[in-house]
Amino acid sequence: MIDFTLPIFMLISLLGILTIPVIIRLISKRRFLFDSYLGYSWLFFLGFIVFEIISRPVGIGILAFISFRAIREYFSLADIRLQDRLAILGAYLSIPFLYYFVYTEWYGMFIVSVPVYAFLAIPILVTLGGKKTEGTVLSIGIINYGLFLFVFCIGHIGYLLLYSSWLAALLIINVFVCDLVICLVRHKTSALPKKLFYSFFLSAPLTIAISLLLSGWTEIPFGHSAILASMIPILVIMGHHVGDYIEKDLGIEEDLLVPGRGQILDNLQSLFYVAPVMFHYIRYFLK
Amino acid sequence: MSKPEKISWSARLLHVVFLRPIVRIIFGVNIIGKENLDKLEQFIIIANHNSHLDIALLYFLLPIGYIARTHPVADLPHFSKFRIVFSLVSFFFKPIWVTRGKPDIEDDPFGDIKSALSLGHNVIIFPEGTRGEPGELQHFKSGIGRLMTQCPDIPIVPVFITGPERALPRKSALILPIWNSLIVGPPQKCTGEHRQITKRLENVIIELANSESARRHKRRPHERKRPKQVAFLGIDGSGKSTISSSVAKSLSVESRVGLVSDELRFFEHGESEHLQPLATEKIRHAIGGYSKKAKSLKFYKIPKLTELLLRDQLLGMVRRWYSPDLVVMDGSPLLNLLAWSSLYKGDIMDNAVCSKIIGIVSGRVRETKRDDPIYALFPELAHLKRLGLAKLSLPDIVVLIDIKPETACGRIDSRGEHKQVHETVDKLSRLRDAYLRVCDVIREDWNVPTLIIDGEQSKTDVATAGYEFVNKTPGVEA
Repeated sequence: MIDFTLPIFMLISLLGILTIPVIIRLISKRRFLFDSYLGYSWLFFLGFIVFEIISRPVGIGILAFISFRAIREYFSLADIRLQDRLAILGAYLSIPFLYYFVYTEWYGMFIVSVPVYAFLAIPILVTLGGKKTEGTVLSIGIINYGLFLFVFCIGHIGYLLLYSSWLAALLIINVFVCDLVICLVRHKTSALPKKLFYSFFLSAPLTIAISLLLSGWTEIPFGHSAILASMIPILVIMGHHVGDYIEKDLGIEEDLLVPGRGQILDNLQSLFYVAPVMFHYIRYFLK
Repeated sequence: MSKPEKISWSARLLHVVFLRPIVRIIFGVNIIGKENLDKLEQFIIIANHNSHLDIALLYFLLPIGYIARTHPVADLPHFSKFRIVFSLVSFFFKPIWVTRGKPDIEDDPFGDIKSALSLGHNVIIFPEGTRGEPGELQHFKSGIGRLMTQCPDIPIVPVFITGPERALPRKSALILPIWNSLIVGPPQKCTGEHRQITKRLENVIIELANSESARRHKRRPHERKRPKQVAFLGIDGSGKSTISSSVAKSLSVESRVGLVSDELRFFEHGESEHLQPLATEKIRHAIGGYSKKAKSLKFYKIPKLTELLLRDQLLGMVRRWYSPDLVVMDGSPLLNLLAWSSLYKGDIMDNAVCSKIIGIVSGRVRETKRDDPIYALFPELAHLKRLGLAKLSLPDIVVLIDIKPETACGRIDSRGEHKQVHETVDKLSRLRDAYLRVCDVIREDWNVPTLIIDGEQSKTDVATAGYEFVNKTPGVEA
């Protein structure tokens, strides 16, 4: 029933390799530099493998759970009014709404589900929640933006998974590598242009090498692989930069990151730009 | 007095395998400063109380071995409304039941708590007494301080809980997944008088609430707080300018007070404060002086109206530029206008008309039709509305100094100044009736706290009565 082709086998062994540090982290309860990045990549890989060899809905459900965790953290930090709670419920419900269309492979509906239907439903729910008019615009903005980042952008990984699990894996591996580089550079320098420069020129060779190596399994031609791989570091840096500003505004201290207080947002911020852009690049040129 | 029961092993098992994972998956829990609870044999946990989730969250703090002998203190009448809730709460938490607000006089109110503590059990107390408004810390009840004076050896662990006030606030049935944080402070041992202990513990919780770990996104308030406006009304010669300035001075001990009287003044810490003069103020002065010299009521009308409108403008400027906590007014433009219009059109004035005019002129009632009969009676209203002047402010507190017209005339005569046209017994008595009616209307229809003082007493007595009324009106922090 399960066809253990080489790519799938490699994916599983990758998960196995990732599991070791995750377990060490859980047992020793000590923190190291990028342990949280390991944790979330592990969760993504688990989703991909479950999708591939066990059950498609469960695999997509794991991705939906990642979205849920992230948006829950975001809403816990953002200043929501009491009367926005109905809209927050609506935002949570849009997660199954979007991922259902991923599961049914209905592209047209998937791509409009959040930006059209959820974005229109949230303001109605905000206004139905109470009579206070002050702060309505901010509330709608906060909730809709959270939905956009954590459900819509992350949801693209789910649709990428439908094309091929190695495409999604390629994205996560590349982003992980870029994150590591940025993490190392961040501790060395704080000047922005320098940071961007180093991050790009240190991570681009790595991502290009990985993409070219994996191009047999991802089935992306060499030329496109190289272009995509050089785009990824730029997009990751953009995501990081925006994420930093959001973190500061939400009142998160970078030294005190824990799940529920900024860690999930910190991990996922690199995917905000990469996931949609890479997905649409592949969809436009290759599918 | 009942002996506290341990939480049964089945409930303990459910705590670990059911309650904790469910809460973790749905809501998410962060514990900051858990090391403060380590190495404590026995403790009392105090926490802020916003939601029914609080108690389930506090059990997250406890090591598994401690679950059996830790009990929250809960209000029996509140939880015994529904049998299923009561049995569930009893099964999971085995609370120490107390009855809120009814301390047993014969029995020691802390009897059950103390017997639990003497057996080595731990206690969870919400010193606020009940769930407060979401996100706001209420003042602690004195019970915690009294208990601590009786058991001074047991350390108190303060915990600040944030999250449940949005996940499951009071008066809401909708449960939302929102991450919760528990911030544990260092254990406290308190000695001293019970009031001091209560105050100190409250400050500890406030400190935890302001700590770095509890910080999150905050919107900036959209508007500055509007200062409360206190108006002193009365006919000429009632001494309202003297009284309003002395009240403003006494109110200013604890807050910044602006006084809009014949002149504009500010008070802080009970002393007068010099501020830059405003141009409007000078114009108002000139027009006010002109109106006082008027020979007949007809010539009095327009300058007086202008003066009143300028006075209202001035009020806006005072709020905008000096942002005092409180504005004391000698007369209120809106209410003076109303009383004066009864002087001119006394025959058609009654309470309903009066209330309607307040609604229109203060801009609080916008939906009046253009052919409303009120505009036929008072064509001036339509003009005011068209000029955009129909937004005079309605005072938040009104004090009327009621005085007999004869006494007023006597006082005016004794001043020896030029007498204004309306300062005769006949006209002042009509004006007085008009003021009384206005006060009646704003108290009944507009819910403005209003006090009528007998002005025949000495001015100090009147000022004291006025000060006390303003001070004890809710919403005025003076």
